[in-house]
Amino acid sequence: MEKKDSINVKCFRFDPKKNEKPYYDTFEVPLNGTMSVQDCLTYIRENLDPSLAFFINCRLGFCKRCLVKVNGKSCLACLTEVEEDFLIEPVLKNKVIRDLWIKDL
Amino acid sequence: MVEVNKLCDREIKTDLLIVGSEGAGGHAAIEAYKSGINILVVTKGKIGKCGASQMAGADFNVDGLAGKELGFKGDKRDSPELFFETLVREGLYLGNQKMVEKYVEYAPKVMKDLMDWGMRIFRYDSAHSEEMARGILSSGLLWVGAIRKKIKELKIPVLEDTMLIDLLISDGRIAGAVAVDITSGETILIKCKGLILATGGWHRAYPFNTGPEDLTGDGIAIAYRAGLEVVSMEMVQFCPMTLVWPPKDRGSIILYMISEADPFNKVIRLLNSEGERFMEKYDPENLEQSTKEIVSIASELEIEEGRGSPHDGIYFSLKEVRKSFIDMIIKVGTHQIKNEMKDSRYELLTLLPELLEKSKTEDIEVGNASHYMGGGIKVNEKTETSLPGLFAAGECSGGLWGAVRVASACTEAGVQGKISGEIAPNYVKNVEHAQINMKQVEEILERINKPLIRSEGISPNDLQKKMHEVSGKALGLIKHNSLLEEAVKNLNLLLEDDIERLCVTSTKSRQLNYEWLRSIELRNMLTCLFLSASASLIRKESRGEFYHKDYSFTDHDNWLKIIVMRCIDGDLDVKFEKPVVTKISLPKGKLTSQEAIRVATASLKRE
Repeated sequence: MEKKDSINVKCFRFDPKKNEKPYYDTFEVPLNGTMSVQDCLTYIRENLDPSLAFFINCRLGFCKRCLVKVNGKSCLACLTEVEEDFLIEPVLKNKVIRDLWIKDL
Repeated sequence: MVEVNKLCDREIKTDLLIVGSEGAGGHAAIEAYKSGINILVVTKGKIGKCGASQMAGADFNVDGLAGKELGFKGDKRDSPELFFETLVREGLYLGNQKMVEKYVEYAPKVMKDLMDWGMRIFRYDSAHSEEMARGILSSGLLWVGAIRKKIKELKIPVLEDTMLIDLLISDGRIAGAVAVDITSGETILIKCKGLILATGGWHRAYPFNTGPEDLTGDGIAIAYRAGLEVVSMEMVQFCPMTLVWPPKDRGSIILYMISEADPFNKVIRLLNSEGERFMEKYDPENLEQSTKEIVSIASELEIEEGRGSPHDGIYFSLKEVRKSFIDMIIKVGTHQIKNEMKDSRYELLTLLPELLEKSKTEDIEVGNASHYMGGGIKVNEKTETSLPGLFAAGECSGGLWGAVRVASACTEAGVQGKISGEIAPNYVKNVEHAQINMKQVEEILERINKPLIRSEGISPNDLQKKMHEVSGKALGLIKHNSLLEEAVKNLNLLLEDDIERLCVTSTKSRQLNYEWLRSIELRNMLTCLFLSASASLIRKESRGEFYHKDYSFTDHDNWLKIIVMRCIDGDLDVKFEKPVVTKISLPKGKLTSQEAIRVATASLKRE
């Protein structure tokens, strides 16, 4: 299968103080070399929507605070490789502070 | 105790505030706890999950005799005096010898603490390439895990996900600090009698670095803004063989970590884009096993001269190694890591086998990433700064190493953390809380609020790109006069103009506001870069890890001096100081930087 030049990232958005219920935004992210879920989120925040809240720190699986759900499965954003469109959500939707950042991460 | 304050959202009062919770700050807290004073730890992330300590290899150093006393094999040919000599000589004589003495003296005490707190140790060996076995190998996660466990056990209060903004000073001594709760966006006024900064380096100011996201030079920039002296800001260590590509693996030092270990040390080839084993030119005798600084400088010169890889690296090659041998290394290595070391690090268990597999068919792009900051807040051997009540420990302090970080930075963090935890309570016990100058608080809040209030200006993302352009171009491993001049000018402009136009647009809420927090961090990162660029421009020689293309000599006659910087009325003031000498007198003469490194490391060959 040919590698895609860009993928669509469907992203859970929710600000409990502003929004009545969660909604989803879709962002187009160019793929340049092997990228992780976190590389995509960083691209979105630095180029498309700086208001996207998610956790990033060590980028290499040490701190384990970037836990998210990708296509329904829990994983660390920094270690999860992506090649196709994906859906990203917080691991616990009832604990959201904003978007993908939840309490007690 | 929490009170309502009309300027800040929250107010807290403690005796000793410790900023940073890991290798240095965590150790300081546990030590200071023994004194019975009130302590509060404030940390930018979660304890055990932030800063650089968690990512360390992690090797610790003690002299061979101390190693024996700690119950390891040790090395009876060694002594604290020999270890001291190695550190001063290999640091090319710029290190503060009083601080080096403390490093040697406290290194075994720190090891003992960590072992008592349950840090598991993999093995005892030479972790750096010293002639003596002085290394104790554990992992960053085991290290911070032990500290975290002890802090929880002692119930030391920790305020997590909280970022230090600025110091408060009254009557010429520390009075407190202003901080921000990252998740709520609330501002916090913290009143204290003493304060230990253990905030790490400014790695994220560089586009290619090995640090985590939270290392933005906060403590150093905050101290500089408060009028404190910073030293040796030109001394930035770059780690060779760091992965540059692809994005997912960028910044990992796993190949460097294994490069000194058997059997890799015998089979690794570093190649340029023409397929040449370029170390043959720079160090024909030791080749890839030359010192870290010579390998870094050689690979960077190849890149500068146009023989680099597509993503500004060089190639790490195992192509001459038989595939069956690589399979064997993967199998044996994985078994050792899993079953003997019982280590589950992603870098060792997943990334390394992936890279080795890949190396059968292609070479891997690696380069020099900013890795360790030798410069920082000026302290003495007791971790005291020039401001009464303010202490600094670990990477945010400066002056220990001189021109090369010769031995373990983990040990440095522990040593200075432990010392500050001993010393600070003595100070705290003898003073009352200073009166907070509310005007200072008001000014700080007004400054950090501006980007939220502005309706137009430059975005933090755009300023970050500009900053990385400057640091990427001029503040890499190899320095050039013309590029440094331009960088100093540009950084000055970014600090004076762009910073004052920063505008947070995506959301005005303070809660988890990336743009707002980044706008605060950008001021800190730009300050550190400005100081580093200015010091680099001043030092007209090359020494150890500091390599200046226009002045490739190590000039003992004119440059055995420390560059000390501070801020007076908003302007940079520079002075020079002689390195603090206790036992080893300073050499004379002028040598090429490579000769100087070779002379300094002449006794490195192990029997």
